[in-house]
Amino acid sequence: MYKAIRSESFAAWAFMAPGLLFLAVFTFWPIIYGVPLSLTDYSVITETHFVGLDNFTRAFKDHNFLISLWNSLVYVLVVPVIQIISILMAILVNSRIPGVKMFRAAYYIPVVTSMVAVALIWSWLLGNNGVVNYLLLKVGILSEQVSWLSTSSTALYVLMFITMWKGLGYYMMLYLAGLQGIPADLYEAARVDGAGPLRLIIHVTLPLLRPHILFCTVISVMGAVRVFDEVYILTKGGPGTSTLTSSVYIFQKGLEQFNFGYASALGLIVSVMVAALSVLVFRLNRRGGVNTY
Amino acid sequence: MIRHTLSSKKMKKALRHLIIYVLLILLALFMMGPFLWLLSVSLMPGRNVFANPPAILPTFIAFDNYVQVWEFMDFPRYIINTVVITLLGVVFNIFLSCLTAYPLATFRFRGRNLVFTLLISTMIIPSATAMIVHYLTIQAFHLGNTFLGVVLPAAVSVFNIFLMRQTFLGIPTDIRDSGKMDGASELRIFVQLVMPLVKPGIAVIGLLEVMAFWNNFLWPIVVLDDPQKYPLAAALTYLNGQFSYNFGWIAAGTMISVLPIIVVFLFTQKYYMEGIAGAIKG
Repeated sequence: MYKAIRSESFAAWAFMAPGLLFLAVFTFWPIIYGVPLSLTDYSVITETHFVGLDNFTRAFKDHNFLISLWNSLVYVLVVPVIQIISILMAILVNSRIPGVKMFRAAYYIPVVTSMVAVALIWSWLLGNNGVVNYLLLKVGILSEQVSWLSTSSTALYVLMFITMWKGLGYYMMLYLAGLQGIPADLYEAARVDGAGPLRLIIHVTLPLLRPHILFCTVISVMGAVRVFDEVYILTKGGPGTSTLTSSVYIFQKGLEQFNFGYASALGLIVSVMVAALSVLVFRLNRRGGVNTY
Repeated sequence: MIRHTLSSKKMKKALRHLIIYVLLILLALFMMGPFLWLLSVSLMPGRNVFANPPAILPTFIAFDNYVQVWEFMDFPRYIINTVVITLLGVVFNIFLSCLTAYPLATFRFRGRNLVFTLLISTMIIPSATAMIVHYLTIQAFHLGNTFLGVVLPAAVSVFNIFLMRQTFLGIPTDIRDSGKMDGASELRIFVQLVMPLVKPGIAVIGLLEVMAFWNNFLWPIVVLDDPQKYPLAAALTYLNGQFSYNFGWIAAGTMISVLPIIVVFLFTQKYYMEGIAGAIKG
C-alpha cells in the first residue's frame, strides 16, 4: 500500500512537472520577484541600487499614484451596476420562448470581440458629432454636444459604461447557469403561496443565486480594480489624470518609462489592496447576504 | 364563463410573450447595434461617421473599403501571425493544463494539498506588475521579438487547470483501475483511456484560449519589436493611429479582424457556454 502511494506520488509529480514549471516562472515568480524589485531603483538604463523603502514613501507622496488609486476605486462602482443588469438579463433570457437562444448569443458577442474593436466603435459613436450625441440631442436629454471621452468629468464614467457593455453577456451567462440550476417546483410552491413575480425574484431567485453572485462580484471587482485595456486604448489616462487608473499608471512607469523598481512597488501596493478587497467581498457576503450589494 | 377565463388566460400569455420579445429586441439593439453600425460604415465608401445627421443604415453597399484596406495592409501576413500565435497558445494550454490537472483530480500523493494551496493563492494575491516581470523574464530567455515570447507567459493558467480538473473528476475511477489490471503504465492509461473521455473539456479550453489569444493586443506590442510580426488586433491599433480619418478603411479592417472570432463563437457556442457555466463550479 505504502509503495503504491509512493509510485503514485512519483507519477503525479512527473505529470505536473511541465505545468508547474510554467506556473513557477510566469505566475509565482512575478508575485515573488516584485518584492525585491520594489526595494531597488532598477531600470534598464542606469546602474541598480538598493533603496530600501524609498519607493514606498515616494509612492504615498506621488499625487498621480494616489489619484490613480482613487480612480480605480471609483471604477469598482461599475460592479453592482453590472451585476444587477446582468441578473435581470439572465432572468429575461431564461424565459422559455422560441428564439431565445439566438438572443443569448447576440448578447454574448461583445464578450468575444477584442477590446481594440469595441473601443474603436464606441470612440466613434461617442464623438462630438457622433451618433450618441445626435440621438440624445434629438430626444432632448442633452441641450448641447458633450465630448464624452475628452471631458474630465465624464470620461471615467464613459469608460465604465464601455466595460459594462462588453461584460454584461459574460455575467449573464454565469447567472443563467445558476438560474437553470434552480428547481422549478420551488417557484411553483412560492406561486401557490401567492407570490408575485417581484417577490419570486427577491425571495426565491436571489437567495439561490448567492454563490453565483459572490463569484461574479469577486471576479468583477478584481477586473474593475485592474482595468487596463479600455483605458489604455481610449484615453491613456487623460484628459489630465481624470481616467488614470492604477494599472495604466503602473504600465506607464514600468514599460513606458522603464522605472521597473518604482513600478513594482506600486504594483505591490495595488496587489495588497486587491487581495484585501476580495477578502472583504467574501466577508460581506457571508454576513449580510444579497442585500449587501 | 369558463371560455371567458380561458381566453383571458391566453391573452395574458400572449401579452407576456409580447413584452418579453420587446425587451429582448431592445436589448439586442443595444448589444448588437454598435457592430451593425460598424458593418454599415464599412460597406459605404467615403462615409463620414461624424456626419450630421448620421447615416445609421446603409443606403448603398460596396466593398471598396475591404478591397482597398486589404491592398494597403498586409492582411495575409497578420492573419498568419495571429493563427500561429493562437495555435501555439492553444496547444500549450491544452497540453499543460491536462497534464497538471489529471493528478490533482485522480491521484493520491504527498504534497497534493500544497499544490492546491499554491494554485488558489495565486487567485487571491494577483500580481499587478506581472507584465513587467514577464518582460524581464522573456528578455532573460532571449525570447524578445519572437512568437514564443508572446505565447509562453500565458501558456498555462490556474483557471484552465481547475476547469480540466473538474472534467477529470467526472470520469469513473474504474477506468484507471481496469487499465492498471491490464498492466498499463500511468502514461498509457492517461493517453489512451482517459484523454478520449475529456474531449468536451479540451474543447472548452481550446475555445477560451482561441478567443484570448486572437484578441490579445498589448503584450504582443510589448514583446514584438517588429510590427511585421504583429497579430491582427495589434496591427489594428497601428491602422487606427495611421489613418484616424479614413473611417471606411478602419471599419473594414476591424470587421476583418472581428468576423473570424464571431464565426468561431457562433459555431461553437454550445460547448463554449457550457464551459463558461461549468467553470464556476471549479
